[in-house]
Parts: sequence; structure tokens; C-alpha cells
Amino acid sequence: MSTKPAARTPISKVWEENAVPRHRIQWCPGCGDYAVLNAVKMALTRLELMPHEVLLIGGIGCSGQIRNYLNGNALHGTHGGPLAYAVGVTMANPELRVIALAGDGDTFAIGVENFVHACRRDPNVALIVMDNGVYGLTTGQRSPTGGLGQPQEEFSEESPPAFNPLRLALAAGATFVAQSFSGDPRHSADVYVEAIEHPGFAFVNDFSPCVTYNKFNTYDWFKQHVELVPPDHDPADLQAAFRLLDDFEARGRLPLGVIYRRPRRKKPQQRLPMWDHELADVDLEPMLRTFR
Amino acid sequence: MTNRLKLLVGGVQLRDGVGTVVDVVGRILTRAGLYVLANERNYASTIYGAHQFDPLVISATPPLSHGDNLVDILMALEFDANPDVPRQPNRDTILRHGPHLRDGGVLLYDSSTGEVPVDDLVARGVKVFPLPARQIALRELRREVVKNMVVTGALFRLLEFDMDQAYLRQLLEERFLRKGRELVDLNLEAARRGREVIEQVLAAQGWRDVGYRLEPVPTNGERRLLVSGSEALGMGAIQAGCRFYAGYPITPASPLLAFMERWLPRYQGRSLQGQNERESIRAALGASLAGVRAMVASSGPGISLKVEEFGLAGAGEIPLVVVNAQRAGPSTGMPTKTEQADLRMMIGAGHGDFPRIVLAPSTLEECYTMIQEAFYLADKYQCPVFVLTDLTLAEVRKTVPEAFFLEHRMPPHREGVLTEAELRRDGYRRYAITESGISPRIFPGTRGGIFKVSGTEHDEFGFVTTEPPKRAAMMDKRMRKLETYLQEDARGPQVVGTPRGNPVLVGWGSTKPVLLEARERLRADGLDVAVVHLTHLWPFPTHLVRPVLADAAAIIVCEQNWSGQLADLLQERCLLPTRRILKYNGRVFYVSDIIRGVREILRNGATEFRVSEFVPVTVEAHEGD
Ligand SMILES: Cc1ncc(C[n+]2csc(CCOP(=O)(O)OP(=O)(O)O)c2C)c(N)n1
Ligand code: SF4
Repeated sequence: MSTKPAARTPISKVWEENAVPRHRIQWCPGCGDYAVLNAVKMALTRLELMPHEVLLIGGIGCSGQIRNYLNGNALHGTHGGPLAYAVGVTMANPELRVIALAGDGDTFAIGVENFVHACRRDPNVALIVMDNGVYGLTTGQRSPTGGLGQPQEEFSEESPPAFNPLRLALAAGATFVAQSFSGDPRHSADVYVEAIEHPGFAFVNDFSPCVTYNKFNTYDWFKQHVELVPPDHDPADLQAAFRLLDDFEARGRLPLGVIYRRPRRKKPQQRLPMWDHELADVDLEPMLRTFR
Repeated sequence: MTNRLKLLVGGVQLRDGVGTVVDVVGRILTRAGLYVLANERNYASTIYGAHQFDPLVISATPPLSHGDNLVDILMALEFDANPDVPRQPNRDTILRHGPHLRDGGVLLYDSSTGEVPVDDLVARGVKVFPLPARQIALRELRREVVKNMVVTGALFRLLEFDMDQAYLRQLLEERFLRKGRELVDLNLEAARRGREVIEQVLAAQGWRDVGYRLEPVPTNGERRLLVSGSEALGMGAIQAGCRFYAGYPITPASPLLAFMERWLPRYQGRSLQGQNERESIRAALGASLAGVRAMVASSGPGISLKVEEFGLAGAGEIPLVVVNAQRAGPSTGMPTKTEQADLRMMIGAGHGDFPRIVLAPSTLEECYTMIQEAFYLADKYQCPVFVLTDLTLAEVRKTVPEAFFLEHRMPPHREGVLTEAELRRDGYRRYAITESGISPRIFPGTRGGIFKVSGTEHDEFGFVTTEPPKRAAMMDKRMRKLETYLQEDARGPQVVGTPRGNPVLVGWGSTKPVLLEARERLRADGLDVAVVHLTHLWPFPTHLVRPVLADAAAIIVCEQNWSGQLADLLQERCLLPTRRILKYNGRVFYVSDIIRGVREILRNGATEFRVSEFVPVTVEAHEGD
């Protein structure tokens, strides 16, 4: 696989080369993930990134397949792992644009350990979660975000209330928290551009309906419940972010847009040495000295 | 000095300074040209209060092994009364190790709270030296910490070593001079007082000496180091080009984490303490994917948690070095006790078949060389390489000539990474089907090429597939690496002696020195045995092992686990019957264990011998995880 010289290919098409062709995409017709795919392409095109500059890390699930539907280096690891691989990748090579693309089960159930700590570690990674409230690939079991918007007076251990990833991300110290919706891919693309450009960990929760298994959180349902973050919201204010979530929740609404964004001061790091010539002539003397 | 001596220092963990005394003594003796081998460091995972002991073999020539549990000099650093033991004050060291004190040996103990009845020892000719070390430190010198120096001074007097305190002064100056001259003098004074008390006891008893004496040995300018196994591993890894390390604290892999945290940044590398075992190995895989040589280390429970990622490294063909510093299992087992019971796990961990390489260094020196080999192999075969050590190897400290580390350097060497020009010419298939099973790599960021790496079954480009012919071809390609490895890089066992027609002791890992010494002793008794030691354990080099063992009179596999994991593997792979000497009580093998086992097997026809030993326990520590 090689990318042709950029001059001859419009950059918007570059992202379709070396990828699984559209007619072989395995998502169900109507799946919200198509819109995410389009929005990611739009964002990468707008950022004028070339595929070799990018590393896509897919989750395990229908959503994670997206890594094959886009040009660009890609890793498809284990269930729940994307953010931890991403930490290693960015520590090794901070020059790469790392984008993790995963499902809600992958990120908030089995991968929640990595999610929480990515919020703290703040690796230079954009995470886009295709949140559909179910485990799509394993045929529709309920995920942590399942039951969103459904009245629940009583609950049990087997089916606890829906999990709110935005609150967890804010509480865990994430520096970029946003939400978008597959019904509005242009807005999604705007949010992704900001997320990819954010210097640190950027989390975007994208409502991406599963038309096959989630018969409650449908496009129509989302359309009736989403609402853009008001223009006067100050995303740099953490307390305002929490207030915004409270306010939307009280009104039974779901905010779309950037809820919190504030870069943290990070020590600059270099790409780690990896070539023979960079590793040659290791001077053992300083270590040996300590054992004399 | 001709004799070799074994010194055991014991006391209450984190209170009596067992580690400090051993460190100071070990370093000074190493500088004096003597060889020190501390192979059996014993501590507990309670942080405070448990019994800790640290035996040191000291010798003018490099000792073959730590030998037996017989001790020549016992130093008991405890001082106070223990209400749990009504008849004796807190004398755990004396009660536990007294029975192993050689007849005519030496006991030095802290008598700050009174003298201890040791009639049984005296009856065996043991020379007893009560020394109120803590009292001297506290009352005379007003600093309790210097009690360690009182003890050290006393020891040096017993050994008639460093009488002018030149070695001690130099070490103290290196350590404390920046905190002030007074501190150095105080410590020297403490040592001098320790010596004085010993003089008095000697005079009062009319003893001329205690029968042990150490003399510096000229080294002709050869520099010697006192290094631990974990440090040798860490140094080897950095030498091999490892620039990313991720760990999660666990005994006995933690010292490697500490080493890497200290040193990697100084070599432009980075070390990460993951938030759990999975984050650690995943981050390392990410770094490796980005092109950096990466390593993780853990022990039993942590290794179990990483297993899913082993499969990813295998199927995704991501190079990774994984160190398993084994401890006693199962489950949390005995965190601070040694065992060799993860062999089966390392050759089998993970679902499905995937290529992996398992190496097991058998000495501290091999920790240094084999970890370098591991990085080379991981890069060449693009698969996980497991390095199996154990608590004994991780904790061993040993005198090693500095030249060894400088001479055994394997420069990092990368094959099979495509350049941009090659990519432009040939295009790129991450998982190209090749005869060797090895496909060319690129690193992300390479202009003109991209890769799709996947743990899910994939075609040559890395796209998911379940097409039967593609699946079969990809599986075959990956597994062909093992054939290539067996032809190009596998190593046969290390053989000492003549296996043909003789009984053979077979081992792996840290037990090698003990087997070699057992061989010497058996030969001195007229029984010729050979030692066959395996370091390259998987893929099993049957073609190299079977011919060595096929004509042996008896194959006696010695290992520290319950089932005889290597013995089973040998039987399965070489179709040869094995007998076994097994020990799994947490202690190292002693030479006498092996000799007893060999006798039991050869004379009495036993098929296996399980080592147990009597260890008097007075205060049972409640240990953690
Ligand atoms: C360790 C492990 N457990 C379970 C699975 C099975 N599995 C595959 S995808 C998946 C859930 C996917 O759900 P989600 O992340 O929400 O993605 P979606 O398919 O809905 O896009 C599970 C449980 C697995 N692959 N690995
Ligand atoms: S099952 Fe759901 S999530 Fe998966 S492709 Fe179909 S619609 Fe999308």
C-alpha cells in the first residue's frame, strides 16, 4: 500500500485510498457510524493531514471497524485497549496524530480503566466514541450507556442507571470534553477538528445510533433530545461545564458541542530514539559507576 | 585466606538494617578483591516487623554457588524482647538459623536487652559474641542508626579485616561527606567501638581468633562490581536499545521498574508506571508499534493479566520483550519466595496458536546477555519474547568484573524495516506472505507507506478476513517464524560433563550454579554426573536437546515447582523418561538437596524426590501480597 503523491490526488480522496471500498463496508445500512466516518474524513481533510502522519486506533466492536474504512496507519488491538496503546504511541512519538475510534462498550465498560487514566495522563490523543448504548457487534447487549433517556424509577444490579461519560471525563481531569451526533455530521466534523487540534487528550462522545439493536435511542429520538451548547457557555470554566450538564439533564436534553476545553501545561517531549544510529554507543559508564 | 565462608545477617525487617549491613559489607569486600555472592535474599511482604535474612558467600575465588544452608557466621541484629516468645527474647535469627550454624562457627548478636542463653550452640563449639550494639549507638553515640556500623566494625574485627578502617572510611566518605565530616567520624567511631567490644570478648575467653580471616586480594587493576540480577537485566536492556519500559509494581519485578525509572530518562528513553498490568503492556505495545524497542516486566499475577495482549503481539506481529520474574504461585502465592512454576504458562499463555520465544537466563551474567538477545529476537521475528527469571535471579547480588559488561554488548541491529525508496518501488503489505514467515516492517510516519496492524485475522494488507485459504496462509506464515528461529537462532542446552552413559542433572533458570556444585561434590564421591542446562525453552529445540540426552543413564530434572514442568516438557518433546527432584517450599535449592535427591533416585530407585526441610519458626509473620 502506498499513498500516491499528494499533488495528484485531492486530499479529500486521499483518505479513501488503501481503505476497504465503500461497497464492502460491513456496517448495517443506516448505522450511525457511517456519519462518523464521513465526519472524520472531513475533519482530516480540513486539517490537511496526510495518512502517513496519522495513527488510527480502533476499538473492538462495529465501531472499531472504522479504522479499515479510512486510509492511514491503524492498530486494531484488544477490547478496551485503544487509549492505553495510544499512551505508548504518543510517548514514543509525539509527532504522530493519534486518533482513537471506539465504541461505548469498549471505552466505558471493559476499557474504563484506560479511559479514566487517559483523562489524567492527557496524552495527545483524540478519542471519538461511537456511543450507541449497545454492544453492536455482539448483537445488542446493553452497554453502560444503555437506557439513556428511559424512565427508571427502580433499578437492580443487573441493569443500573445509564452511565454518564461526560461527567466521568470531567471528574477524571479531561481537558477536552465534547459531544456530537451522527444526525449532524457537519457539526461533528467541526468538533473533531477541534478535538484533533487540542494539545492533549480530547474526548468526543458521538451519539451514533445502532439501527439494528437499539430501538429506543433512534435518530428521531436523538433529534428530539439534542440541543447545541449555548453560544455564551465558557468552555474554559470547569464549574460552568458541570452546571451545563446539570441544566441539560434537568431539562431532559443532551448537549452537543464543546463542553469543556482547557489545555494543560505539558512538558515537551522528543521522539524516542529508535534507529540503530540513534542507539549506537550506549555509554554504560554512569551506570557501572554506581556499582563500584 | 583459603576458606570460603558464609555469613548470614538476620533481623527485623526495616528496623535492624539487615540490608544496610549487607550492602556495606558486600561492597567493601568486593572492593577488597573478594567475591561476594548473595543468592538468597529473604524478606517478607509485610513492610515492618517480619524476619529478614540475607546470607552472603564470601570467597577469594568466584564461588560456584551459594552451596548449602550451613552458615559459618551468624549475625543476629534483633535487640528487644518479644512477648510472643516467652522463653527467649526476640531472637528469631538465632532460633531459625542457629540449627544451621556450623559446629565451631561464630554467633554475633545484639545483646542490648541482655544476654541470651545459647548453651546448645556453645556445646557445639560455637564462639558467641554478645554485643550491645543498639545500646552503644543510643547511649554513647546518641544516634540509633549507627548501630549498623557498630555491628559492621565488630564483624570486621572477627574477620581481622580492615583493621585500619581504610575501606570503611572511603565508603563512608563517598556516602556522607556531602552531609558533613562529623557524620563520617561518628560512623567510624561506631565501628571502632564494635571492634573494641569484640577485643574484650576475645580476651575474656582467651580466644586468639575465631578461625575465619579475610585478606584483601590484589585484582591487578581489574574493576569489580556488586550487581543484582534486576540491575543486570536493566543494564542489558538499555544496552540493547530498549527505550520504553512499562511496569506495575509487583515483587520481584519492582526493582527493574525502579532501575528503568532511574536510568531510561538519562538515555533519552521513558519509563511508565502503568495504572495496572494491562495499561502497562498496552502502552509498551503502542511504543513498539511506533518503532521503539519496548519491554515490560511483571510476576505471576501480573503476567496472568497481560495474557490477552500476548496474543495481540503474536497475531499483530508487534515485537515486545516481556520479563516474568517468577515468584511462588498459584494466585498471589508467596510474593517474596522463589519458584519456577510459570514455564507451562509462558509457553502456552494465550488463546490460539501464535509464535513466541521463551528464554531463561541461568545466571546474573546471562540476565545481561540474554535480555540483549531477547530484543534482537523480538525485532527480527516480530513476536513476543518472554524472558523467564525468578526471585532468586532478580535478587541475586554478585561480584562481577566490570569488563564483563563492556565485553558482552550486542549493538542494537534492525533488520527488515523498509525505507521510503523501497516503499515507493514495491508498495507495502504489512503481512506479506514470505518464506521465512517474517514480513517487512515500517514505522508510522514513513512517507509513502501506511500499515494496518490487527490482532483480528487479516489478509496481507491487514484487513480483516475469515476466508479459509487466507486464514490458513496467514496462520502458516506466522508460525513459519518458529521454523526459521529453530534453524537460525535456537541454542542447544549448556552441557557440563559427559551425558552419555551417566546420570544427568537437567535444569533451567537460576538453579544452574547449584547443579554445577552438586556435580562437583558427587564426582568427588566417585559418581560421574553431567549437567545439562536449558536456556532456550521455546520453541523447544528438540533437535538440539534430544541427542544430548538420548544416551544418558538417567535423566534427573531438578526444578522448583510441584509438577516438574520442564520434566514433562522434555518427556513430551524428546520422548525420554525423566526422574525429578522438586522443591517448592519457597527456599532455593541447596547443594545437599540435590545430592540427597540423586542418592534417593539412583540408590533407592525413586522416580521423584520432593525436598522438604525443617525450619523452626518462632514468630510467624503475617505477610501481605
Ligand atoms: C476481552 C473481550 N471480551 C469480549 C469481547 C467480545 N466483544 C466484541 S465487540 C464487544 C462489544 C462492542 O460494543 P461497543 O464497544 O459498544 O461497540 P459497537 O459494536 O456497539 O460499536 C464485545 C463485548 C472481546 N472481543 N474481547
Ligand atoms: S449492529 Fe448496530 S452498530 Fe453494528 S453496524 Fe449494525 S447498526 Fe451499526
